Amino acid sequence: MKNPKSIEPKNLTAQLHYRGAGNPPGTHPSTAISNSFPGLEADFRNVWTHIFEGIVFHEASNLVIAVEETEDAKINRLVNSKAQYFLTKADGKFMVVPVSGPSGRPKVPIHDSMPLEWSNALAEILPKAGQFVSCKFQSNDTRRKPITIKLKVRHFFDVDLDSTGKILNTRAVISRHLLQPGDLTQSLCSPWQNDYRECGCFYWAASRPDYVNVEPDIEGKSSGNNWLEKDKKKKSPKSYISDSQDEASANPQLISYQDLFKSWEEKLSFIIEGKEEGLGKRKKTTKRKKGNNS
Amino acid sequence: MKMNSKYDMPGIKNEVARKSIRNSRPISPDFHLFESNGYNLLIPDGTRIYEISHDLQEEFKGLIMKDDKLLIGKFLAEHGLQSLGTINDLPIVEPPLTAISLAVAQKCNLSCTYCYARQGDFGAKAKNMALQTALDAVDFLFNNNSKSNRMNIAFLGGEPLINRPVLQEVTRYAHDKARDSGKEVGFSITTNGTLLKEEDADFFEEYGFAVTVSLDGIGETHDRLRPYKGGKASYEQIRANVLPLLAKQNKMQVSARVTVTPLNLNLKHVLDELVSLKFHSVGFSPMLSSPTGEAEMNGSAFEEMLENMISCGQEFERKLIAGERYPFSNMSTALKEIHKGSHRPYPCGAGAGYLGVSASGELAACHRFVEDEKGYFGDLYQGIDRERQQACLTERHVHRQEPCKNCWARYLCGGGCHHEVIHRGRPACDYIRGWLNYVLQAYIRILQVRPDFFLANLSS
Repeated sequence: MKNPKSIEPKNLTAQLHYRGAGNPPGTHPSTAISNSFPGLEADFRNVWTHIFEGIVFHEASNLVIAVEETEDAKINRLVNSKAQYFLTKADGKFMVVPVSGPSGRPKVPIHDSMPLEWSNALAEILPKAGQFVSCKFQSNDTRRKPITIKLKVRHFFDVDLDSTGKILNTRAVISRHLLQPGDLTQSLCSPWQNDYRECGCFYWAASRPDYVNVEPDIEGKSSGNNWLEKDKKKKSPKSYISDSQDEASANPQLISYQDLFKSWEEKLSFIIEGKEEGLGKRKKTTKRKKGNNS
Repeated sequence: MKMNSKYDMPGIKNEVARKSIRNSRPISPDFHLFESNGYNLLIPDGTRIYEISHDLQEEFKGLIMKDDKLLIGKFLAEHGLQSLGTINDLPIVEPPLTAISLAVAQKCNLSCTYCYARQGDFGAKAKNMALQTALDAVDFLFNNNSKSNRMNIAFLGGEPLINRPVLQEVTRYAHDKARDSGKEVGFSITTNGTLLKEEDADFFEEYGFAVTVSLDGIGETHDRLRPYKGGKASYEQIRANVLPLLAKQNKMQVSARVTVTPLNLNLKHVLDELVSLKFHSVGFSPMLSSPTGEAEMNGSAFEEMLENMISCGQEFERKLIAGERYPFSNMSTALKEIHKGSHRPYPCGAGAGYLGVSASGELAACHRFVEDEKGYFGDLYQGIDRERQQACLTERHVHRQEPCKNCWARYLCGGGCHHEVIHRGRPACDYIRGWLNYVLQAYIRILQVRPDFFLANLSS
């Protein structure tokens, strides 16, 4: 050991709980928030994008977005045509299912081929690591025939193999063939744009009031603005404009996700004691001059 | 792998054991330092094992001198070895039942001096379990097993083969019931081997029994400890009975269990003999508490046992590297647990997921507590006495045991067999730590040269 302070985890629990020198607590799943796909510290979905040798999936669906360098014409066809291809079946197991609901009889069909979440869909495929399984890809262009290819399943955990592919050793870390440096953090969620708009005031990410500029009336009721309203200068009676989480049908009177991504500094103001600061005279952002450290 | 050649040289009596005991003293509850192909560290919280640099080892030694719990906690956290809190002070509550033992015969034809069952009858009237009681016990297991699909039924006694018809009938019943309910049930039996017949081999093979035969040595050594009532030798008869079973092992596994007393400490010889007979595995267990105090292990005997155990372990290492079979179960089990990082607040499932059933249908904390008020847990018809069970699980938690809570080995050992501790205390701590210290060292060596050993054990 060259490093005078080196620590090398040996058994499985030590490997599982190991935190590299210099890494903050949030880098470890047990101490990270990691509450969703994608998460704040890591996007676990990326683990599955390289699960089959030869192809790369989109992190959130069964769409093939790239192929690894290969002479195999069938594999290359998955990306070298105008159509898109989706994995619909692997080793006889469906990767997509029809979805209906949400309730009532008869059930209302919602989607005829929704991709299953990878961890569940691949549960019975992963034990076949190192083996070839039959994979069926279907195109969004229904005129095209499905493509069936035998692909090798990668090992989830880091393993040492002998020349015949027999496992010699396994470690409690994700295989380096599934993830390259940076892969786990390439598609993190954007809490200060998405969650900030999406979540109500009961949720940690939304550290701002939902209902602003509130004025009580003589009947004991109140009137006020939805914090997302673009124009809060309207005269009373104010009314709370309901939101829609569907971007396409979002109420145009409200600040959209796009607005927040593009220019949150201009669209949002401080809300102090329930009132929006500078209502009606939104300030422009100022650029710091070079050399001005004040 | 280079073996430590001085282990093979004659020297001070039990030199290796004494050294291992010296090197495994319970200096800190928060970590244990050991050396094997370098410097190593065990963190009991989560049974985490690391290789560390010499400088770091020196810093850990410095911490021992300061004896400051807060400082140790800070130091561990700074090095990414922070507390995980894997085991808190709370006992498990109403655990689902996953295994029972049936004392199908509370009687025995042998007269082993040290027997916890007092020659088979547990100090009460000798009796067999009625078929209906055994069937009710199976129903009880299934009814209390809602959360698990895997169950185990162990036949114990006394000598369970005295009541062969009930044993066979209840096995078939449990097998069919499991099949019909989509569950799995495993069977095991611990027998003295004197009544085994060739047709038992077919039956045990059909139902995939784990058969354990109690053998305390070879020939006269065994006969001295495990004679028939009346004093007649039993070894040759048992050997003749067991050979057909050993030959038929497929689904069935036939293992030998050796109870170690001051009279049978030549373990390597016994192990080699039993391995050559093709036992599936051979394990040693020290006699810690006998009802009469006879044949109990003591200080110097523990040292000698440890010396012998380490000698067997070194042979295990040599054979493993050479790719030869050497089924020394104390070693393979301990290595497997260490590799996984097993950590637990109890020594076994007794009183929790595992209960003993007496011939009359009373529930006991385990097979050893049959007819013992200290381990009475209700009966098949009134159900588990949850108050007594909870009191037991609270009381027996390793955090409440002395001196366990200050010992680095507490989550590997779990505080020791409840029955033995209640009846005799903890005379074997130095032995247990000395053995674990050796296995930890062997683990580091084996991990380097035969990591595939752990892979095979994990998948099994």
